[in-house]
Amino acid sequence: MGEIILKNINKTFGNTKVLEDLNLKINDGEFAVLVGASGCGKTTLLRIIAGIGPATSGELFIDGEEVSDLAPGKRNIAMVFQNYAIYPNMTVKGNIEFGLKNNHVPKAERERLIAEVAESVGLTEYLKRKPNALSGGQRQRVALARAMVKNPKVFLMDEPLSNLDAKLRVAMRSELIELHNKLKTTFVYVTHDQVEAMSMADTIILMNKGVIQQQASPEVIYDDPNNVFTAQFIGTPSMNILPLKNGSFVGYRPEKVGLTPEETEAFYKVRGRIITREMLGSETLYKVQIISGEHQNETVMVKSLDSGFQEGQDAWVQVALKHLYFFDGKEQRIREADRAEDYGACVRCLKGEEA
Amino acid sequence: MARLTRKQKRAVKRAAGNTVNLIFKLFVSVLFLFPFYWMVTTSFKPYLETLKFPPTLWPQDFTFEGYVHVFQELDILSYIKNTLIVTGTVIVIQFFVNVPAAYAFAKWKFKGQGLMWGIVMTGFMIPGQLTFMTVYFMFADWGILKTLWPQIIPTCASAFSIFLLRQNFKQIPEELVESAKLDGSSEWKILWRLMVPMSKATMVTTILFSFINHWNAYFWPLVMTRDEDLKPITLAIERLKNLEQGLNYTDIMAGNVILVLPLVILFLLASKKIIQAMAYRGMK
Ligand SMILES: Nc1ncnc2c1ncn2[C@@H]1O[C@H](COP(=O)(O)OP(=O)(O)OP(=O)(O)O)[C@@H](O)[C@H]1O
Ligand SMILES: [Mg+2]
Repeated sequence: MGEIILKNINKTFGNTKVLEDLNLKINDGEFAVLVGASGCGKTTLLRIIAGIGPATSGELFIDGEEVSDLAPGKRNIAMVFQNYAIYPNMTVKGNIEFGLKNNHVPKAERERLIAEVAESVGLTEYLKRKPNALSGGQRQRVALARAMVKNPKVFLMDEPLSNLDAKLRVAMRSELIELHNKLKTTFVYVTHDQVEAMSMADTIILMNKGVIQQQASPEVIYDDPNNVFTAQFIGTPSMNILPLKNGSFVGYRPEKVGLTPEETEAFYKVRGRIITREMLGSETLYKVQIISGEHQNETVMVKSLDSGFQEGQDAWVQVALKHLYFFDGKEQRIREADRAEDYGACVRCLKGEEA
Repeated sequence: MARLTRKQKRAVKRAAGNTVNLIFKLFVSVLFLFPFYWMVTTSFKPYLETLKFPPTLWPQDFTFEGYVHVFQELDILSYIKNTLIVTGTVIVIQFFVNVPAAYAFAKWKFKGQGLMWGIVMTGFMIPGQLTFMTVYFMFADWGILKTLWPQIIPTCASAFSIFLLRQNFKQIPEELVESAKLDGSSEWKILWRLMVPMSKATMVTTILFSFINHWNAYFWPLVMTRDEDLKPITLAIERLKNLEQGLNYTDIMAGNVILVLPLVILFLLASKKIIQAMAYRGMK
C-alpha cells in the first residue's frame, strides 16, 4: 500500500550535484530511517518523494505507480517538517482541518476525524488555541495530527524531534513507534542521530554525500557494515580502524575488546597503556595507546565493564577473530564469505605471517 | 566633593541621557504638531483675528463661521463623494492586483522575473508629472474624461504596495507553502487563506498608504478633471482660496480640518498595525 521505489535519481542545484544516480526501495509498512551527516541530502531526498522539490532526473514509484508528474497534494503523502510548518494564522483545529477541507471531506466526517486524531495525540483541549500559544512539544503534536488525519499511504518526517528537549524526545520517540505499529503505514524518518535511527528503524538507510552507503536493519548495519563509513557512523564511540601492511584496514568495536591485566588466548592481542579513563556508569571508556607490535603508538577506544584500570597502567587489548572487520584500500568491507582470499590475506597480515 | 561610587555615576549618566532624550522627543513632537495646532485654532478664529499681528495663539472669539461657509458656499459633500468613490474603488482594485502580483514575485520563479520586477520598480520611480500629458490624451481618445475613471485607472496597481507585500511574503517560510501544497491546496488558496491572513499588518499599511495617497491626491485630479462635479475634495479646498475676495484663512483652515480629519482618525486606529508592519521588517 505504500511501497516507495526510486530509480536512478539525480538532483542538482545549479552546478552542485546533491544526489547522483540514487536507487532505493522502501517496503510497504516499513519504518525506514534515513540517517547521515548534515548536508548529505536527506531533506533533498524526502522532498523528492513528497514532490515539493522534484528530482532533476530519474523515476519515482509509489505503490508501483510512477508519480513524478503527480502534484504533491495528490500523492497521498503527509510530511512533518523539521520546523513543523504549522499555519500560524489558524487554530489547532484549523491546521488539522485544512487538508481535509481541500480534499472536500464533508463537514460531519471532518469533525469526527479531527476529534479522533486530537484524542489520540492528546490535543483535544487545545483545539481552539493558536499555535503561538503552544509549547514545542504541543506544536509537534499538531504537525503529527495534521499528517495523521489525512490517513496517508506514506509518512515523511524530517527530524521531527530535533527541537525537543532530551526527555520529551525520548517520550515522543516511543509514541512514534507506537503510532507506526498502530497505523502500519510506510514511514520515512530523517534524523542525523544514530541512536534515534537504531532505536526506531525497521531499516536504516545510511547516506553520505548523496550516496547510500548501506540499507539494512539496525542489527545488520551494526554487526555487518558494508564499509568503513558505515562501521564508524554507527556505534559510539565509533569503531577503531587501523591500517594493515598490505594496504587494507582492520577494525573492531570498542565494546568488543577484552581489556585484561593478563594475556589470554584471543586471536588479536596487543599491549596497551591507559591514557584516559571515563566512567559512563555501568561501563568505563578507556583511551588506550598501543605499545607493542605493528600498531605501536596508535590509540584505540575501549569500552569495558571493568572499571578497575587506572591511567598510566598497562593492559592487554584483545579481540576475538569474529569481532574483527577487514576493509580493502577503497574502505569496502572484505567478508570471508565472498572474498575468502582477501580475507585470508588480511588475517595472515595481522598475524604478521606475511605481507 | 565626595567621590561618587561607580553605581552613582552610572545613575547620573542615565538620568542625564533620559533628560536629553525626553527634550529631543518633545522638540520633535512640537515641530510636527504645531502646524496642526495652528490649522485647527485658525479654523475657529473670526476672519479679522486671523489677520492680527502678533497672531493670537488661541481664538479670542470662538466661531464656527469657517465650517458654515465651507458647507454653504461649496457643495463639499459632492466633492467628498468623488474622493470616496475614487479612493474606495482604487483600494479594492489595488488589493486584487497588488496581492497576487506580490505573491508571484515573492514565491514563484518564472522567466523574465528580474526584468519584470525592474519594470515594476521603475514604474514606481517615474513621477506622474512626466506622464500625465500622454495619459491625458490617451483617456481623451478613450472618451472617458467625463467620468471618474481617469483618476482611478492609472493607480490600479501600486508598485510601492507590491514592494512592501513582496518583502513580507518573502519572510514567510517556504515550508508553509510546501506544507499547504501537500495538504492539497491550490496556489489561489495558499494566497488567500495563508499569505494574506499572515500579512495583516502589511495589508493594513498598504491600504492605509493608498487611502492617504488618494485622499490627498492633488496634482493628478488637477490635470485630469475639467468639470466641477468630478473634482475631489482637495481641489475643493483649493477653490476656497479663490471664493472670496482675498484669502479667508478661517474658511481655508476649516476646509483643511475637514480634509485631514478622516486621515487622523484612521491613523490613530491603525497606528499599531503600521508600527508592527515596519518593526517586523526591521527585525530581519
Ligand atoms: N535550494 C538549494 N540550493 C542549493 N543547494 C541546496 C539547496 N537545498 C539544499 N542544497 C544543498 O544540498 C545539500 C543537501 O542538502 P539537504 O538539505 O538535503 O541536507 P540534509 O541531509 O537534510 O542536512 P541536515 O541534516 O543539515 O538537514 C547541501 O549541501 C545543501 O547545501
Ligand atoms: Mg535536512
